[in-house]
Amino acid sequence: MQKISIKLNGEVRYVYVEPNEVLLDVLRDKLGAKSPKSGCERGDCGACAVLLNGKSVRSCLILAIEVDGQEIDTLEGLSQGGLTPLQESFIRHNSFQCGFCAPGMTISATELLKNNPHPTRDEIKEAIAGNLCRCTGYESIIEAIEEISKK
Amino acid sequence: MPISHEFDYKKVVTVSEAVDLKAKYGSNAKILAGGTDLIVLIKEDVLKPEFLIDIKGINELKQITFTENKLKIGANVTFSEIHESSQIKEKAYILWEAAGTVASVGVRNSATLVGNICTAVPSLDSAPALLVHDTIVHLKSNKGERTIPIEQWFTGSKKTAINPDEMVVAVTLNLPEKKSASCYKKLGRYKGEDLAQAGVGVLITENKQYRVAFCAVGPIPTRAYKIENILNGNQLSDELISKAQNLVEQEISPITDIRSSKEYRTEMVKVMLERALKDANSILSGKNVSLNPIL
Amino acid sequence: MKKEYTTIGKPEIRVDGREKVSGAALYTEDIEYGPDLLYAEIVESPYAHALIKNIDTSEAEKYPEVLTVVTGKDFPYRFGLYMKDRFIFAQDRVRFIGEQVAAVVARSPQVAKRAAKLVKVEYEELPKVLNEMDALKDDAYIIHEDLENYTHVPWFFPKPKTNVAHWRKTRRGDVRKGFEEADYVLEDSYYVPRYVHCAIEYHAAVAKYDKGGRLTVWASSQSPHTQRHLFAEALAPLGIRHNDVRVIAPHVGGGFGSKAGVTMEIMAAAIATKVQGHTVKLMWSREREFYNTYQRLGVTSKLKIGVKNDGRITAIDHQLFWDAGAYVEYGANVVNAVGLSAIGPYKVDNVSIDSVCVYTNLPPGGAYRGFGYSEFLFGLESHMTRIAKHLGIDEIEIRKINGIKEGDLTAYGAKMNPNGLHESIEEVKKAIEWDKEYKPSDENKVIGRGFSLLWKAPAMPPNASSSCFLKFNEDASINILVSGMDIGQGYLTVMAQIASEILSVPVSKIRTENPDTDRNPYEWQTVASHVSWSCGNAVRLAAIDARNQIFDLIVRTKYLPKDSLYLEDEKVKSTQNPNFELALKNFVIDGIMMGDGTFKGGPILGRGVFMPEFSSTKADPDTSQGGHPNVHYTVGAGAVILEVDKQTGKIKILKVAEAIDAGQVLNASLAKGQVAGGLLQGLATVLYEDIRYDKNGKLLNPNFTDYKIPTAKDIPDEIISILVEVPQPDGPFGARGIGEQTMLPAAPMVANAVEDALGVRIKSMPVTAEKVLLEYLKKK
Repeated sequence: MQKISIKLNGEVRYVYVEPNEVLLDVLRDKLGAKSPKSGCERGDCGACAVLLNGKSVRSCLILAIEVDGQEIDTLEGLSQGGLTPLQESFIRHNSFQCGFCAPGMTISATELLKNNPHPTRDEIKEAIAGNLCRCTGYESIIEAIEEISKK
Repeated sequence: MPISHEFDYKKVVTVSEAVDLKAKYGSNAKILAGGTDLIVLIKEDVLKPEFLIDIKGINELKQITFTENKLKIGANVTFSEIHESSQIKEKAYILWEAAGTVASVGVRNSATLVGNICTAVPSLDSAPALLVHDTIVHLKSNKGERTIPIEQWFTGSKKTAINPDEMVVAVTLNLPEKKSASCYKKLGRYKGEDLAQAGVGVLITENKQYRVAFCAVGPIPTRAYKIENILNGNQLSDELISKAQNLVEQEISPITDIRSSKEYRTEMVKVMLERALKDANSILSGKNVSLNPIL
Repeated sequence: MKKEYTTIGKPEIRVDGREKVSGAALYTEDIEYGPDLLYAEIVESPYAHALIKNIDTSEAEKYPEVLTVVTGKDFPYRFGLYMKDRFIFAQDRVRFIGEQVAAVVARSPQVAKRAAKLVKVEYEELPKVLNEMDALKDDAYIIHEDLENYTHVPWFFPKPKTNVAHWRKTRRGDVRKGFEEADYVLEDSYYVPRYVHCAIEYHAAVAKYDKGGRLTVWASSQSPHTQRHLFAEALAPLGIRHNDVRVIAPHVGGGFGSKAGVTMEIMAAAIATKVQGHTVKLMWSREREFYNTYQRLGVTSKLKIGVKNDGRITAIDHQLFWDAGAYVEYGANVVNAVGLSAIGPYKVDNVSIDSVCVYTNLPPGGAYRGFGYSEFLFGLESHMTRIAKHLGIDEIEIRKINGIKEGDLTAYGAKMNPNGLHESIEEVKKAIEWDKEYKPSDENKVIGRGFSLLWKAPAMPPNASSSCFLKFNEDASINILVSGMDIGQGYLTVMAQIASEILSVPVSKIRTENPDTDRNPYEWQTVASHVSWSCGNAVRLAAIDARNQIFDLIVRTKYLPKDSLYLEDEKVKSTQNPNFELALKNFVIDGIMMGDGTFKGGPILGRGVFMPEFSSTKADPDTSQGGHPNVHYTVGAGAVILEVDKQTGKIKILKVAEAIDAGQVLNASLAKGQVAGGLLQGLATVLYEDIRYDKNGKLLNPNFTDYKIPTAKDIPDEIISILVEVPQPDGPFGARGIGEQTMLPAAPMVANAVEDALGVRIKSMPVTAEKVLLEYLKKK
């Protein structure tokens, strides 16, 4: 077991991990961040997406021990000060149905808007192309992001 | 999904630390950069390494360096970093373009170009770009260093010329001296994330030299020398393209698998070759072409 | 004049929107189960069909931190929804690759995984049957020798000593005469393979059998009460009764039918009884989700339609042979539903349908959005367009000529409900600009247009019911207790809207939440696109019940006539006395104080139960005539304009229009979401999803790498959603369900459009670029 520190959603957390523990599992089971989800375990679906040092990554393909000393942001962290304008837009547009893809989708969209505050529709699609959604057909999600991109 | 296999792990900060560990463990130690291939293989019990050497802390491997007619890309450079580089877009367009077709943003943020060529799946997107640029692979071990030209790098499906005590530290692309244009065409099952069922890379220089390379249509990605030979020195025309297409069957050995049939792959390589040549030629003549790498 | 409501029909924001967007929504695996949580890993069969000779669990049992290993011997109990042909763990044999043979329970997931590999199973392979046509041959190996001993619902007709688990026959009129009268008869076969639901949350189940004898199961489920029932039935030999079993269903990350009935959940429930006092999680994975929950059944269909030269149908003979998998306890009802409806939304006097449920050594088939209708409509709507083209009639015209109207007879002889089929056809034709000349984007491309009708009725037993408790709180806010599931469709929101409309309490003051079978009253299942209708009625009745209690209280305390009372802005008012108003919050808990200081009334608790008492499966077993098995049909139409690249076969969907008759739209935004989501799922089945098995019956692509579901880059350029409203007389505010129906026209309209574009008719799904191009090259 090794003691590592992760700055999770702005707070420094300490946790003991074996090398073979996956970041997604450690976030959920040891650090209480339930928003990243397990959807496929292979990086294909994006449900596990978190921000690592500001960039979206597949936490199901990262070992917890790799991020010792680094910063992770999950959906819980993004809305610490209240829901973000993007999240309010998602609510207004009824963007999500079952909601399971919402955390990963929000992480990807948040990264996009940070790097590119006024993306085109194609750029929005590219940014969320790694987040699979089976319910919505994506249109309601794209519309909500487009509304923010116009501001 | 938990990983049931146990292993040791170390995050190294220098190349010599890494190669010392490789010398000690050989192929029982795996280099961990992005992990987007490696972790999947460990989860599925395909690979059972004793030791993982995390090289992400080695800063010198993070570099993208342009020198005279050469582009050197370190082992820690991700596909996102390649696709965000306006210099690479300008000077090695095909690599920039291919990098953008790999998986999705969240995977590209971790996945490295060097990792891609080390996993060496036959469908790897980076290969046509590296092949048309006569890329050199730089290897280090604790005994020294060596280079391998990319044409000799791939030795079989998921096999490379690397030795058990070596690691790849960088690749260097040769950039053409003359003005040139290049592009990548990828056959996927749809517009979203997919492994290539066929990939075609093309580079044309203003003095009518052609480079053509394929991936996913044989156990290893290859240059198409026969096609290059009939193209070299000639102005592109429908007739010339047709001649090139007729040679495709001699240059590729696709299989039928759950992703595609060899008939379709063969047919598509011909179509992609034509479209790639025409697009690259249009860029070279200064026309504004809207390029879409995914068929 | 269409009625305007306060909330019904409006694009209200989902009641669970904030929860889901903020990450607060808890799904089954998000709940904290505590440090005593154990992990169960199953041992799976590597063979499609084999006898189990021996299971040696000794090494696994000795492994440190393993608590126990269970096998079929521990649970020799049958279960099943419509037919009891399954065991919790395989007994003497396995019938599909991946079938569960044993399970290891350990303190950590890693130990469970490692120890499971130490369980040694000896198999003796049996001949395997991997497709429905082989399974029907006279010399085919019989997969269920005990078929005649399986209990089943009275409307199933298994054929013992064969692989036919059920054969639904529908006969009306005289098809022989009908074909003789026809000017043109087209006969052909169509093939639709299996499909996989791919909800982004895979199945999850956690169970605890405590020392007090209480079995609690947390499950990602569409059917908590049906699950409770099946657990209690199967585990009754252990002394467990229904009231000992509690199913808690948290948020569900998508269902699409996969989480209906019971699949892996019963393993968690059973395993828990072996580690009494501990909570145990059954470990699942995306791979297992692909091959060991339910899949959509595959089908080979033979279709014969006769028409007059003017396009009128004279006869339909539709034979469908279903690859239903190793266990058909749910899938057999898919076969049944199609057997009653496979003539499509057409008026036909001479009908013959044979829908045959065939056992195969492949994963169990079960409920999937559309419940067999996508599968038969692919053939039927392809066939109708082909006939139209042969006769020189426009493919929309031929649908108008034959389209079913209210009062026409269904295949089984009941009267068709009020429906907007013809309005849907007109609206779609207009919206897609059917007669417009669309131009391809370059010389390599061609445009094609295609059309399809759709219909579907809920497939459910005649006694499928819904119930609701509705309680007011001190501030006149409301808690609605129902046991339907919001699997994304917005059910919780719509239930709140129905109560809101009747009781004048705003939706924001109404909580409808995920059920606990202990507290929430019975709901059959959230399937069949029927809960808005059925549970909507129960909620409506509960709200009316509450309103009656309110009015009765006002009558006896304020002496106003009941028929003068109404609710507005959370107050009781009277048409008789415009000055009278009494806020609900004043009395819905506390009652009303009289002059003498006594209180009348007390908590207002509404109760509503809905069961379609007119529905019946009692019918002639050889003709299916005489019953009323389907409560009503939802109809609609769809059209597509697409562009095909002649060099690659790649298809680009330029424009889709779809019209659905919702009766009364309950929530405009959620209805639109169903059209967008359903259409994309339908398009995915025809364009991208491509299930592959090897010759041993092993699924080769149990992952998203090679089973492609669409991304944001794969959506049509334009979707036009049209909601037609021809009221369903017995629906809440006139509503009927639409959730599944939105998927139905996708596959046939694409196949029709591809033929229009390239002259190539593809009769098997999926219609991939590869298939299209290779067919086109062959034709050239």
